[in-house]
Formats: sequence, structure tokens, C-alpha cells
Amino acid sequence: MGPPHNFQHSAAHRREIEAALLTEISRGLDGVLDAGGMVVGCRVRYSGHGHAVRYHVAHMATTDRVPVTVLTGFLGSGKTTLLNRILSENHGKRIAVIENEFGEVGIDHQLVIGAEEEIFETNNGCICCTVRGDLLRILGQLLKRRDKFDYIIVETTGMADPGPVAQTFFLDDEFKTQFSLDAIVTLIDARHIEKHLDEMKEPAEQVAFADVLLLNKTDLVGEAELERIERRVRAINGTAKVFRTRNADVPIDNVLDVGAFDLQRALAVDSAFLEPQYPFEWAGLYALEAGAYPLRTGKDEHAHHHHEHHHDHHHDHGHDHDHHAHGAGIGVVVLPVVGSNDEALAGAIETAVRAFAEQSVDVACGGSFAPATAPARLDLSHDGSHFELQIATPGHYALFFEHAPAEFDLSLADRKPLAVRKFASHHHDEEIYSIGLTDPRPVDPKKLNDWLSYLLQSRGEDIFRMKGVIALQGEPRRYVFHGVHMMFDGQLERPWPAGEVRMNTLVFIGRKLDRQELEAGFHSCFA
Amino acid sequence: MKRPQALLEPAGSIKLDDYIVDIAWSDDAQQLAVAGGEGKVFTLSRTAGTIAARELGEHGLGTLAVAWQPKTNRFVSSGQDGELRLYDAADGAVVRRQRPAKSWTTALAFSADGRHFATAAGKQVSLWSADLDLEQAFAPLSSTVAGLCFDKPARDLAAAINGGVVVYRQEAPQFPLRHYPWSAPCLAPCFSPNGKFLATGTQDGSVHFWYLATGRDSQMRGYPGRVEQLSWSGDSKYLATAAADTVVVWDFSGKGPEGSRPEQLRGHTERIACLAFQPNGNFLVTAGLDWRVSLWLPGKSPAALDAHLTDSEPSCLRWSPDGHYVAVGERHGKLSLYEVVRL
Repeated sequence: MGPPHNFQHSAAHRREIEAALLTEISRGLDGVLDAGGMVVGCRVRYSGHGHAVRYHVAHMATTDRVPVTVLTGFLGSGKTTLLNRILSENHGKRIAVIENEFGEVGIDHQLVIGAEEEIFETNNGCICCTVRGDLLRILGQLLKRRDKFDYIIVETTGMADPGPVAQTFFLDDEFKTQFSLDAIVTLIDARHIEKHLDEMKEPAEQVAFADVLLLNKTDLVGEAELERIERRVRAINGTAKVFRTRNADVPIDNVLDVGAFDLQRALAVDSAFLEPQYPFEWAGLYALEAGAYPLRTGKDEHAHHHHEHHHDHHHDHGHDHDHHAHGAGIGVVVLPVVGSNDEALAGAIETAVRAFAEQSVDVACGGSFAPATAPARLDLSHDGSHFELQIATPGHYALFFEHAPAEFDLSLADRKPLAVRKFASHHHDEEIYSIGLTDPRPVDPKKLNDWLSYLLQSRGEDIFRMKGVIALQGEPRRYVFHGVHMMFDGQLERPWPAGEVRMNTLVFIGRKLDRQELEAGFHSCFA
Repeated sequence: MKRPQALLEPAGSIKLDDYIVDIAWSDDAQQLAVAGGEGKVFTLSRTAGTIAARELGEHGLGTLAVAWQPKTNRFVSSGQDGELRLYDAADGAVVRRQRPAKSWTTALAFSADGRHFATAAGKQVSLWSADLDLEQAFAPLSSTVAGLCFDKPARDLAAAINGGVVVYRQEAPQFPLRHYPWSAPCLAPCFSPNGKFLATGTQDGSVHFWYLATGRDSQMRGYPGRVEQLSWSGDSKYLATAAADTVVVWDFSGKGPEGSRPEQLRGHTERIACLAFQPNGNFLVTAGLDWRVSLWLPGKSPAALDAHLTDSEPSCLRWSPDGHYVAVGERHGKLSLYEVVRL
């Protein structure tokens, strides 16, 4: 792209800023002006293709490719708050924000897709290859400046599908050299997300696409509810980084320059997500005397402060919830163990897995249950449920809960666990969920290519995100790839560390994915 | 085969304080209007190897395009402030201002006689008088207009959109509209000078063209990316296109390009940012992101006849209407003139 060059903050540019600022003030818009230190900033809104483009201008730096952050989230999730925070923070970066006016207008009750988000279908109308035509043009305009921006943030409308935005950066060779898709950041309104997930398909898609999830407005819901929400969004997207925020207050480094699409950075996947599947999510080890132990809901002190205003937990959503619908109850297995530490707890896992496969015994509110090799199903259908755990022989016991008990404010009275272990959730309550595969067997490049091609062609529409680190047969370097729908990017990267297991890791986030099918497909790729 | 001899003879350059987005030549090739990406509008006058620049004004946040009005000493600029301005190049005064639409006016086109002027702003195509009075605001199209062009007799006006090319026939008051459908985002429409073909580049790596007499269409695929650089040779024999570092030239003589292999001109090492055939001639000039400006004669030589280096990425390339000069603008504001000299 030619030799590197440095830029000066030209007088002309300052004049532009000042002129823009005057326009801003004269229009009486909600501008933010920072004037201090090195930063001279302003927000300018003007119409073009139905978009308002804001420029935040500070002293500039040069980078090769301009990182682009895509900001999604429903109306009211805090996108504007986050944008204002990013724009007004004294970070000395030049940021261009491409936002949709519909978001700014704040028409919360009209969830209409902005007509100006122009979707182009390429490759003869393939849905997976849609791009945002308006973005192509606006980004093209942004390039026509001598000085590049440090960051570009693309804010989508509340209902927008992030796919076409992301694909815009894969599709076009020129954009590939000028911009780098940095991360998709999805804001979640903690107070409303469960209702939104139940009633619409777009929120789950926005969660599924995300590299970073900001669980916002945490001050408006209780701890138990937050746990449940986080579990639910994690079930949809097992690889995103989740941050809990109030007023979208998050260190800027967590949302900008994340490098989620950067193949050179190692694929960071939540290790819990790649664990084997367990039918339970929480286990605690207790030392118990003989006797009856009350187990109640609503004792969680953390959750207490906030509980008054959110009784409606939306438990009975319209999806097929089967036995693990939260409203129905929670399965518990109590097993005697030898020892009082983590190892003792770990030793009981296999027995617990077998126990959970047995027919459960229903326990009505007020009923009692005891250590057994089948799960007790505690009826939690009304508030203030209470049960009794009967212990005949004193000793150490492991309690395995189907769901994290904090989520139901369920606790064993007066007892603290000696050891606790959490397990990744693999219940697919949602239509969209993540599947992770790991296997150390080396892979044949040709077979992998064939399988991925087939997969992209046959399931590309349903696969929102795909990432992987692959150990190719005879190849000292790691093959790293990522994809958005049918757009795919992959290359050989750093060598495998000496002495470390060359573990293939693949992650798929999509709609109605079939683990067995994916597993079988991947297993057919082994050399 | 003896290599044809011709050179791009440097004919002066000037450094302007803006990213050069667009350039427009006056009929006599003595003046140029220049659009700056950060907002400036300049006129340049060319006399005996020296170029004098004059800054006329500024469009807030960026100038998008300039177009010289044929047969006059005036030109139009459009900017991200939403304005259209008609400038008098003699004194630099703004003769007329219009604010046609909420959106930016991204495409400008004058008919060859200077009497018709068309603009595209978002989905809106409008026709203006020679004095920039609105004559016709057409019904909004189904998607944003990516490019506009008149045919040579200024009878037809083509607008490229997502889904094909729309052609307005200049017959007031009805302006009958014909649609040339193609299921891709179309980018840069251009009529062949002989009026037989309408070609357009597309976002998904193909060139599409129609036989205007019959409406039959054809597609040329295989480009590695979007094709927005297209130009017809003066005799309508060649259509030069580029999506990467190679110029792909289709031969429309005889049975036409269908089933043929195009001539591929290699020499650039980076993407070709601009290309244009000589008006009324067959010399082709390209400017690439390898900071190189090259002169070609398709059909006669597979190699460049001459090449020059620029000081930064080239951003705009325009032939003077008389076909004698080429102006090349750059990202960092340098504008260079070259004269095409046959040896």
C-alpha cells in the first residue's frame, strides 16, 4: 500500500472541526464537547443516506487498517450511552461512528428496521452473502481523507441483523485492506432481555454474533436474575466475553481494539464451554450431621435488595422446554463422598452423571428427599418453596444441582459448602446455541477443506459464527479460521508450543445445530 | 510486432491541501475544477507548463464530486453538506446553490451539450436546467444510485442501482423509464460511444452489458472483487475494466466479447484505482495503488508504453475532453498533468 506516512493535524482540519461544531451548536443538538489536554472533540450529526455520522476528533495516529467495531443491541440497551461514553472519554483517538438515525430518535415502541439500512444480496441473491450497501458507500467516503480514523464504530438499529454488517468487511477486497473488523459488541438490557429472547428472534441473533456481550443495566435486576440471564446468553454464545455493566460503563479497552477477528491472536474460548457435557451445572460438598436440613428458596441475601420489582421471571417462554424448564423445578442428586476437598467432589461426578440419567422422583413443596442414585425433582412452581434433606449417616455429601441454585435463591440453611464446582450449561433451551468440539487427532487439510466447504454451503445460513484452531497433519503451525455465515477466512499462524497437546478446537454458533452431525463431520477429517 | 511508441509527458503538477476526490476539465483543457475529500473546491488554470490554483470554497465535511458544464465556463460541485453549487470559473463566484435532498448528492452528470444536468442523491435521480433549476425529480428508485451517465446524444440517462440499471429517456414530460434488470448491486453504468451497448460493473465481481437494440444481456464473470472501473474506447471497440491489478479489456468488435478471452494488461502490482480511455481515441491510462500511472494501447501492446510514479495513492484520473491531457489526483493532494505524445 505504499510507504508509510505521518500526518499533521492540519489547520484546515481544525477549521472543519470548528465549522462542524458551530453547525452542531446552532442546530441545538445533544453534542458533547471535550476541550482539555490534547483532545478537541465534537459530535457532528448530518444526514447522508439516512445516517448521521459523528466525528470525534482528537489528535491523530496512523494505523494500517482501521479497526471497525459493530455495535448491536435492542433499543434501550444502552448503545447511545456507550457511544457517548466512548466519544467523550479522554482517550485521544479519532473515532468515526456510523449510526442509524432510528436509534437516535429512540422510538422504543416502533421496532422498525430502518429503511436506510440497505441490504445488498451478492452472489445472485444468496442470503448468507448479504452486505450493507449503505456501509460500502459511507466507508468508501471515510477513506477519502488524507488522515485515517483510529476506529470506526458502526451502530446498527435495534432490530438489525449483524450478519450483513460483518459480511461487508469480508466481501470486498479493498475493504479488507483498509478496514479490519475488530469485534461485534452486543449490549443487553438486563431488565428486558429475557422477554425479548422469548418473543423475538433478533435478540438471540445479536447475542449469537457477539464477541463481546455487555450485560447492561445490572443495577435494575437482582443477582439471581443476572446469573440466570448470563447462563442463558452463554448457552446461546459460548465464546463471547461477558461484562456486567451499569450505564454501559466499561473500560474502553474491553470494547475497542478487541481483535476478535484477528487470526494472529489466539482463539480465546471460555474453557468451561469446551468441557464435556454434564446434566448438572453446580455441585457443592458439605459436611453434614444426621438430621433434617431445610432447603429453601428466597434466602439468597445478594438477591434480596432488588427483588421487589421483578417478580415476572418469564419462566414459561414459548420454546420447547421439556423437563428442564425452570418453572417446573430443579433436579438434585445427593451422594455420600469420602473426603472434604475438590478432589472428593470431582470423584463423585461420574456417579452423579449416572444418577441424573435415572428417572427422577418428584418432591412437592414441603416434602423431603435423601441421598440417592436418582435425582429428586424439587417443585419450585411457587415462591417460597421449602424442602427437607434427610441425612441418616453423618459424613460428607456432594449435592449436584441441575441448575445453579443461586438462580433460584435456593440454599441449604446455615451450611456453607466446603468445595464448589460449576459446570458449563449445555441445555439448548434456545433455538440458537453454541457447540464446541475438541479433539487432539491430527486433521487432513484436504478433508477439512471438503467438510468446511460442504458445511458452509449446506448450513451457512444457520451458522452465524464459526471459529477454529486446527492441528493439521505434519504442520508445525496452527491453522486458525473464523467465519460469518458463508464468509470464511483462515490461515496458518503461530507454531504449536513444544510439549503441548495439539488440540483441535472448533466452535459453532448457530441455529438448530446438530452436535452429532458436526462431530461426525469433523471426525471424518482426521488424517 | 513492433511496439507502438507513445509517452506520457509530464505537463506540470501542483500540491493541493486536500485529498483529491474528483477532477473536471473545461472544454478547452485550460482549466480544471477539483473536489477535495475534506471539503475544498479548487480551480486550476494551466498555462505553458505552470499550474495556478485557486481555492473557491468549501463544502462542510467533504466535497463529493465536480462536473464541468460543457460549452461554458462553469462547473458544479456537490458536498456532504448536501449542497449543489454552480460556480463561475472566471471569478470563482457561486452562481447558484441548491439543496436537493436530505442525502448527499454523490453522482453528477452533464450531457455533452451542457444543456442537461443530472444528479443522484440516495435513491433520488433529478434533472436540472443549465442554470441549475430543478426540472424533474423522478420517483425514488428501489435502492441507492451508485452511478449515473448520459449516452452521447444525451437522449438516455442511466442510473445503476442494486438490481440493475434504470434508463430514463429524455422526452419531457413523460420521461419513459426502461429497466435493465440484473440481480446484483450495479455500480458504474456506461454507454458505449456508438450507442450500441450499455455496460455496468457490479459489486459481486462481474461486468454486465446489454445490447440496447434488443435488450439482450450478457455477463462477464471471474473478477476477484467489485468492478467499478470501466471505460469504453473512443471507437466503442474495447471496454476496459479492472477489479484488481490487471486491466481486463473486452473486444466488442465482430461477434462481440461473448465466449472470447479478454486481453489482460499486466504491469500494476496493486489494485488499479482508476482507468480511462482517451476520449475519441484508443489510448488507455490507468493509475494503481502501486503509485504508478501507466499508458497502454490495448490491442496493440500487452505491455505499458510508459509509466510514472506518483507521490501517494492515486485517487482520481481524468482525460481532458480533447484527449490531449490526463490529470491524476492523489490522496495527499498532488495533482499531476500528463500530455500524451506519440513518437
